[in-house]
Amino acid sequence: MKVEKSRQKLNVVLQGDFNLNAVRRISELLNGRNELSIDLSNSRFVNSKAIIYLHNLMYADSPVDVQIRNPPKLFFALLKTLGLHKVWNLEEIVQP
Amino acid sequence: MEAHLYLEARLQMVGSATDFTYKWCVNMGFDQNEAARMALAVDEILTDIVLYAFKVETGHIEIWFQHTFSDIEIIIQEKGEPFDPERYVYDAEKAIRENNFEGASLETVRSMTDQFLFLNRGKDGKEFRLVKKFDTMDIRAHLPEHFPVHPKEEDDSSTGGDYLLTPVTSEDAEDIAKLIYRSYSYSYSKEDLYFPKRIEMAILHEYKFGTIARTPSGGPAGYFAVIKSTDSMIGEVGEAVVSPQYRNRGLMKRMLNTLIQMSRQRGLKGLFGEALMIHTYSQKVNQRFNFKTTALVVAKSPKRIFKGMAFQSTDNVSVIIDFLPLTRRWMKPNHLPEQYADLLNTIYDQFETHLYIPSRKNKIADESRKTKMELIIHHEKNTALIIVREVGSTFELSCKRMFRSIEDLTLTTIYIDLPLGRDKINSSVDFLKNNGFILAGLMPFFHEESDFLRMQKIMVNIDFDLMQTYSDIAVLIKKRVEKEYNESRKEQAKA
Repeated sequence: MKVEKSRQKLNVVLQGDFNLNAVRRISELLNGRNELSIDLSNSRFVNSKAIIYLHNLMYADSPVDVQIRNPPKLFFALLKTLGLHKVWNLEEIVQP
Repeated sequence: MEAHLYLEARLQMVGSATDFTYKWCVNMGFDQNEAARMALAVDEILTDIVLYAFKVETGHIEIWFQHTFSDIEIIIQEKGEPFDPERYVYDAEKAIRENNFEGASLETVRSMTDQFLFLNRGKDGKEFRLVKKFDTMDIRAHLPEHFPVHPKEEDDSSTGGDYLLTPVTSEDAEDIAKLIYRSYSYSYSKEDLYFPKRIEMAILHEYKFGTIARTPSGGPAGYFAVIKSTDSMIGEVGEAVVSPQYRNRGLMKRMLNTLIQMSRQRGLKGLFGEALMIHTYSQKVNQRFNFKTTALVVAKSPKRIFKGMAFQSTDNVSVIIDFLPLTRRWMKPNHLPEQYADLLNTIYDQFETHLYIPSRKNKIADESRKTKMELIIHHEKNTALIIVREVGSTFELSCKRMFRSIEDLTLTTIYIDLPLGRDKINSSVDFLKNNGFILAGLMPFFHEESDFLRMQKIMVNIDFDLMQTYSDIAVLIKKRVEKEYNESRKEQAKA
């Protein structure tokens, strides 16, 4: 995982799939920052634990501004399966 | 190309297992998206096992990767804390409204696979079965519904000697699919043969080998193949076709002789055929080539309509197992179940010249062994096969757990293969008979090059009058199976 940190923002480039291991490492690194950018160019999938984690960040009392880059196709398929596509503002969250 | 992983139940192992799943699925023929779906489904199950089944204690997870021509099945087994998936139903509205994501993992698994099964086998552990079908081109969608009987491009009037027989290669896949469609329209029993990609993959991965007969102008006239068992050095003469305009020219005989030769070269110990019982054509062909009847397997596949043929199946399709030994080193077990000893001896007597009887010292004692069994579910046929690898002191208990774990599935038949030559075979047979199983017969060399006794539990009504038999032994086996079926029905009615 490649990581860049500033006071407010955490930038992460995942080297593999966005699974629970990755969630735990990002969670440790985020450490109170209110902006998170995750590059998923190397990921084949994002699992349900990762999606729930992002959901909880975005809809917390002190929300985190989440940006996702180059998500795999399966990310959108799973979001739909879990019914979250209706509430996530994908135009703002997903970056090309 | 089956695979087996044995993992420590730790979160750090999940990524390695999903990486392997992805690569294995791609190598077996899935495209990248389908492989990623399967990898995600495996990730979800493994993550939940690590989080909830083992929590603080350590344990292990086993994963089996299995491949057929039509689908991939991944079986995940563990012996962690008990779990009931039916209690965890995902509700999207509840997730959004109450932030309650219970059941999200299983919902993900269901959406990523074509079939998801959870089997609770009590003390023998839990099993998660993930199935995904190959999405490949069906030749039936690309050819006209009715082929001309004598297509212009195939007007060769060659007699037997002019046909060229060559071993099939993956490049013959489309010709084979066309041959099947042209000869049987929609009625051929092996669905996979309508999909060129599946045929190609099966040949490439050496799951089958065969011969194709071509006319002097190169057109396909016939095809015959052996499907190799993944569990033993035997093969099924399971795919045979001669285009209608080239029949009665001895092509089938030439191809089968070539196949027997190819099977010997590959070191196979025997060949078997599953001859349909709605007619006797295949049984007659098998007998002509010295195959001998060993078993009657009831309701092997669902009701079928045989288009363009003089018969149709109104009942579940049953088959006769015919066997041709290719070795003279076939050890006859010296300990046969008392209940069937006479019949089994009669079946073995057909193969006298191929058999030798070991000394009594070779008898396998199994008092202290642990029972080891394996479940194979044939989803498309609604049948299940339990292979008993080891009969131990927990045999009856393990059987009960296995039966309980599959009782919610809609199955027409459960087959169970018992290893012959074991001390405990008599009590195992009695136990199975008391649980509604009846005889099927001898399955020679069927698993790990050993002989098994097959028993079967039939959950549908069967009309034995519709089953036709050809050989004397087939008549004998049918009589015994029918008798036991009727007795079992009476017992059930009483209960």
